[in-house]
Amino acid sequence: MTATLTTESLVVGHSARMRAVFEFLHVISNSDSTVLITGESGTGKEVTASLIHQSSRRKHRPFVPVSCALFSETLIESELFGHERGAFTGAIKDRPGRFELADTGTIFLDDIDDVPLSMQVKLLRVLQNRTIERLGGTRTVPINVRVLAGTKRDLRQMVADGKFREDLYYRLNVLPVVLPPLRERREDIPVLMEHFLRQYFRKSGEDAPRVSDAVLQAFMRYSWPGNVRELENACERIAQTCTCGTVRIGCMSASILFRAASQPPDVVMSAPTAPQQIVPIALDERIRELESNLISWALNVSHGNKSRAAELLQIKRSTLGDRIARCGLADQVNVANTSNQQVQASRSAADTTAPNGDRPASATTNP
Amino acid sequence: MTKQQVEAVIERIRPFLQADGGDIEVVDVNGQSADVKLTGMCAGCPSAHMTLYLGVETALREAIPEFDTLRVV
Repeated sequence: MTATLTTESLVVGHSARMRAVFEFLHVISNSDSTVLITGESGTGKEVTASLIHQSSRRKHRPFVPVSCALFSETLIESELFGHERGAFTGAIKDRPGRFELADTGTIFLDDIDDVPLSMQVKLLRVLQNRTIERLGGTRTVPINVRVLAGTKRDLRQMVADGKFREDLYYRLNVLPVVLPPLRERREDIPVLMEHFLRQYFRKSGEDAPRVSDAVLQAFMRYSWPGNVRELENACERIAQTCTCGTVRIGCMSASILFRAASQPPDVVMSAPTAPQQIVPIALDERIRELESNLISWALNVSHGNKSRAAELLQIKRSTLGDRIARCGLADQVNVANTSNQQVQASRSAADTTAPNGDRPASATTNP
Repeated sequence: MTKQQVEAVIERIRPFLQADGGDIEVVDVNGQSADVKLTGMCAGCPSAHMTLYLGVETALREAIPEFDTLRVV
């Protein structure tokens, strides 16, 4: 298993959420207790685990990351605890497990939420007794290992659903670290972007290019379901394909563009910038601007349908009418309505020509 | 499939393209296929053709069931 995210990239980011995470990591740096890292895929669980190891007293000892999702139910036991020769067909020699390899160091059990219930009880025993027994062996081996665990699902919920042992959950959840998804710390997107672009352009011996405002806006509005890993991937792609020296919309995956366009305009973009540039802002004006942007977005995606737009904004239909008037957006409603009617009219025209919804024969047979 | 239907899909990302000094022009809609042209800033970039092509084609396919082929001319 590989960590594509680097420690440096995780540390990039100034959001309050990430600062809180780093401060907590600093507090627990001297501890030897079990840490449970919860975060969606791509938020940097393994990077965090490695960071915890690097700042601990065990930093010169082994760090063994292991994804529990990689192995089948039968293999995982031999993988974690090792086996003796002849323990099962194909076990031709003694093999130490990951726990033994991590002795005196740290083991990172990633995807702990994928461990089957039958295996959870064995893991619990190891965590309680700090000893392991190899598969097919009779010897009990004491181990001195710091345990870190990673999960993408909420283990407490899994406990409530009966999918995760409560006793194991309490064993693991001594020091909880929760990594926020990227969409909840959008203010870090520009810094992360700059960091990855610089990194990937440096690999090909080039300086980091300028990024156009349109690209930045699209990146800020996109929801990044794959989190920092997806952002890194997008930046790598840009570094490989950009031919003109400036990152423009053409460098971006259009699927990101389409999905960014369906998100409301970003709130953070209009927030005051760096602290050293302290200038007064007119709060009322900013709020009106934001309101106008969001209403405009809702009208746009609902094709001028005010009831639908009001639903999207979770306000009453009548309130929306007042606000449209106040923000001077009445024109936009009319424009959207006209184009919508055009589309509907053309659709019904198309329906009349092909009443059964059949494709014209000429188009399908003669490509 | 009509030109307006294709335009309506492209309209969704048009603000981004125009903010960057570019656009996608719907040249022709013929049966189930659409011809589009990249204009402005990214028009000469081979990567832009590829990235936009794939995304626009997917979006058209999702929005218009009878849509078949996209050609960048």
